[in-house]
Amino acid sequence: MTRREHQHLVVPAKVDQLHRIAQLASHAAAEVGFDHVQADRIELAVDEACSNIIEHAYGGQSGEIEIEIVPEHNHQITIVLTDTGKSFDPDSVPDYVPCKSIDELKIGGLGLHLIRQTMDNVCFEFNVPSEQGKFNRLTMVKKL
Amino acid sequence: MSSTLQVNSQQQTNAPVQLMHVSGRLDAGTVNIMEKALSDALAKGNKVLVLDLAELAYISSSGLRALLTARRAAHARKGDVLISNMKRSVRDVFDMVGFSAVFGIHENVEQALHAATKIAGPN
Repeated sequence: MTRREHQHLVVPAKVDQLHRIAQLASHAAAEVGFDHVQADRIELAVDEACSNIIEHAYGGQSGEIEIEIVPEHNHQITIVLTDTGKSFDPDSVPDYVPCKSIDELKIGGLGLHLIRQTMDNVCFEFNVPSEQGKFNRLTMVKKL
Repeated sequence: MSSTLQVNSQQQTNAPVQLMHVSGRLDAGTVNIMEKALSDALAKGNKVLVLDLAELAYISSSGLRALLTARRAAHARKGDVLISNMKRSVRDVFDMVGFSAVFGIHENVEQALHAATKIAGPN
């Protein structure tokens, strides 16, 4: 197992940053050794997580997302997203249940469903104290 | 690097059907373009929308929600939203959330237009 170069960046919490963030994760995943299908899914999970931060944690207010990507060649990728927006309880979001009936289909929780389907470990931490104030942290791990 | 999305629409002359060629990336940053194109197409009186996704490289849950909302609106007028020409990566997302069982999915535009004309009936 070789630990490759970490990537660390801080971007404005705006939807026009989603492509940049998600593609960074996708490229890092490909370097770890994930195939195109898995790299695309990791890109999707990061997009969904950042979209949730922009929409729910910051709720349209300005803010930043700190992204740390830790690729470990032939082993796993770890992606850590940090924000200082509002915390939320992921357990309060109803589970998305795939359903064949268009009338019965409830689309709440779709983003969380995609994240959990894609990544092996998903850990939410809220109101973590630090010298700069409280922050929220989402750690996602996908093993090869 | 920000996302881009283009929707080029072609009104069918023989039925209240609109063919929409979607290209680029459908995420939270571009979904407003897709939502407007879909609602405009339905506002024109179309019953069925056929989406050609051959050039759609990426879709997230924001895009999926827009498609489902449009399909519900089309259903309300006994119409539909049909999907054609999906790339593997987009099909993978549809499969992950079970949308492949919810939407009418066709291998190519011709098949989808044929199905759309049957659903919509003549003008």
